[in-house]
Amino acid sequence: MSISAINEQLLRAIGVGVAIVGEENLGFRFHNEKFAEWFGEPGASLPDIFPELDLDLLRGGLAADGCYSIECSVRPKRRTLIIALSLSRAISNGERLLVVECQNITRIRELESMIESYSSMVERNTREIERERERAERLLLNIMPKTVYEEFKTFGVVSPQLFKEISVVMLDFIGFTKLVTQVDPNTIVSELNDIFTSFDRISEQFGCERIKTMGDAYLAVAGMPDPNPDHARAVANCAIRFVRYLERRNMSSSIQWNARVGIATGSVVGSVVGVQKCVYDIFGEAVNLASRLQVFADPMQIIAHDGMKDALIEEFALSDLGWHEVRGFGEMRLISLSTDIKGNTARHHRRQDTLD
Amino acid sequence: MASQSLFQKYGGFAKVSRVVLTFYDKVLDSEQIGDFFDDIDMSRLVDHQTKFIASTLGGPASYTNDRLRQLHAHIGISDRDFDEMAKLLSEALEEHGFEPGDRMSVMLEIESRRSFIVSLDAA
Repeated sequence: MSISAINEQLLRAIGVGVAIVGEENLGFRFHNEKFAEWFGEPGASLPDIFPELDLDLLRGGLAADGCYSIECSVRPKRRTLIIALSLSRAISNGERLLVVECQNITRIRELESMIESYSSMVERNTREIERERERAERLLLNIMPKTVYEEFKTFGVVSPQLFKEISVVMLDFIGFTKLVTQVDPNTIVSELNDIFTSFDRISEQFGCERIKTMGDAYLAVAGMPDPNPDHARAVANCAIRFVRYLERRNMSSSIQWNARVGIATGSVVGSVVGVQKCVYDIFGEAVNLASRLQVFADPMQIIAHDGMKDALIEEFALSDLGWHEVRGFGEMRLISLSTDIKGNTARHHRRQDTLD
Repeated sequence: MASQSLFQKYGGFAKVSRVVLTFYDKVLDSEQIGDFFDDIDMSRLVDHQTKFIASTLGGPASYTNDRLRQLHAHIGISDRDFDEMAKLLSEALEEHGFEPGDRMSVMLEIESRRSFIVSLDAA
């Protein structure tokens, strides 16, 4: 068998569509079976089969690079085939020819479509996961301060931290246990939720942060995690607003909420406690003291210890309650805070003066 | 559903992509249901089948029953068409080494969606 006969057989057998056309008239000289399978038996010239072929671009490409490529789609059966055509110059027996090489790239395009489809699904999932993560982060920020959260996120644990100079406000409702048995639980919880939400807003406004609620008790702190020299005044301001808020609320509500409030200055340790159900909490003398002092309060009264006097005396109306035995702390001099706001009262008087 | 989806068990999208292409070929070659795809653009069909198979195997996409009904309502699919599709999918899964028990659970999953896809009463 001659070399050219072998070549021809090879061209007929391969899975690539091959045709040879004259460069001048683009008339067919040869095509293999694959070519015919995809495009049918070729007619007179190349443009008859490929109407999308731009002859000017073809000539230009051949002149510049000696070759030219396009993509076209055909549909011999149900499936749309995408064929990449590559035309390159050749010379045979002095005649200038073009070799048309046709590769079936349908699979590649189908794979590209599939990757596109899949990546769009994955990207959408990723966005949903991201939203979910943000939601989880917001939840965690509800139960711990941001700086603590950052530490928790980075190290997976939080090392306990001592805060030397902070103040605590502790509020507890009177007769809550009795209330629970008398009123529909749904009403109680929704009222409590409403009240604590308002307390949260008051706390935020006066630079305090709620640490937790325990049943009907509310605990907020000032001066941590970021130090605040005005921590005592911050909790006193909160305590007064808590009481005034409840008084106003009671005027128009069938359920009467009466509370005792204790405020105390001292040190605490703050940390995340627990592994599965972790909670940020604070421990130490300031918390214990506020909780003890609160017990001494009459309904809607705010009790502090003498140690806070210097910090509070300028802004608040204080009354001396004398010495008392405080469990775990020994004899202590206690003071109570008037829920009137000094500044407001002064302004009120001035206005009266001018009216007179 | 087990804690690990079939999608994960069989190697995620790397493997599932082959099932998609095999199924795609089978559907187009099918005498029974190939006609449905005559005028459908290739990329749309691939997109649809990728999502279909991924969701069937517990992968990232998921179709609600309402969405399935909307997508198929105007096409006029009969129970025979549905059976053919299920058969082709089962074959494709088998060719890619899915165990009989797993193929069965995929078939059950698909069967539960039949009423949302079939819209032609048996003649």
